[in-house]
Amino acid sequence: MEKTSMMETWITRGKVLLFSGVFAAIANYISSSKTGAPVTPLEAVPGLAMMLFCVVVGCILDDTLRKFKINLPSILYISAISMLLSIPGFSPIAEYFCAELNKMNLMSLCTPILAYAGISIGKDLDEFKKQGLGIMCTAIAAFIGTYVGSALIAQVVLMMTGVI
Amino acid sequence: MKYLKDWKVHALCFVMVIVSELIGKHSFNFGPVGFTLFPMLYALIIGIILAQFKLIDREMMTTASPYITISVMYLTAKMASSIGPNLEAVLNAGPALILQEFGNLGTIFLALPIAVCVFKMGRAAVGASFSTSREGSIAIVGNLYGLDSPEGQGVMGAYITGTLLGTIFNGLMASMLDKTGLFHPYALGMAAGTGSASMMSAALAPVVAAHPEMAGQIEAYAATSQVLTSVDGMYMSLFVAIPVTNWLYRVLKHEKKPAKAAK
Repeated sequence: MEKTSMMETWITRGKVLLFSGVFAAIANYISSSKTGAPVTPLEAVPGLAMMLFCVVVGCILDDTLRKFKINLPSILYISAISMLLSIPGFSPIAEYFCAELNKMNLMSLCTPILAYAGISIGKDLDEFKKQGLGIMCTAIAAFIGTYVGSALIAQVVLMMTGVI
Repeated sequence: MKYLKDWKVHALCFVMVIVSELIGKHSFNFGPVGFTLFPMLYALIIGIILAQFKLIDREMMTTASPYITISVMYLTAKMASSIGPNLEAVLNAGPALILQEFGNLGTIFLALPIAVCVFKMGRAAVGASFSTSREGSIAIVGNLYGLDSPEGQGVMGAYITGTLLGTIFNGLMASMLDKTGLFHPYALGMAAGTGSASMMSAALAPVVAAHPEMAGQIEAYAATSQVLTSVDGMYMSLFVAIPVTNWLYRVLKHEKKPAKAAK
């Protein structure tokens, strides 16, 4: 089972990563053109390639560690690699890495993701609509909780350390 | 070629991306508050509209579902690249700034009980309540549960809510909290940095306006707190917020064992 299913997984991963990368680069081109500083898809290639590197190495790490029963979310490995590469002084390419990745706008990377999500959302739409009001109120409660929580701790610590 | 039989999904995705980007981002302002719609939101809405008219068949929907989890990995790599350049700010931040980051977890103890006890929500409650549901949270939930899971619906619904009402609500909330006089403007400045630039500005504006003599210091605290959240946000969510939310969810639902372990 191992070998074929692993190959299938990588073919799907490779295909989707390639497509969504290209789509994101085009999205980035369109959105950056509107701001008057266009970043062509070709200019975005180094940044995308380095992100792809983080993703692929992260996935390989995840696949390998899973064989040793270490089941952590792959997001951990991917973010760790990208973070390490971005630390000035630690990573020799930190400056280049960040400069190239910054050519890709965060929002443009989100567009293909949410397009795939948009295609698949239809099957859960009824459930989604049923929960709409609840989710909305929960989101608002999340703002209050986050803000008040931070303000409370900041207030107490500032008072204890004698700043205020 | 069986590997190419899903071309319709990618072609549709491509068209949706192009259309969404051509519409472009639009900002709507009502006096000091407003909201900005980004193309990613249109892509989601186009999908919902197409599904309403039965223009996407069921097979395409199920095919696209795992693709979300794959494409979301780019977002993870991108977001983590902002950590390195900001590490110095963390080292230089004072204890109050660092500790107030844990205040971001306050959402769990307020939002989750409301979701579960008042609205009787299922797992979508977890997705909507562990954070303020910005792009980073979409990446995390997409990776852990998939965006078409109940948790994914929660985070996406909350993302939409936040996009439309976030700045308005944060502006009002900051203004009201400042008027109570319970909090020092510095504390409110630190609290304003929750990960979203537009929401930070909205939460900051009324506090700065009410205390112009402290403006510089309040703004500096807010900006640093914002940077700290961009550094710790992902790890705070993965290691603290989501486990705590899952635990509290089980407590509120009177479940004994973990319902479903994260992938």
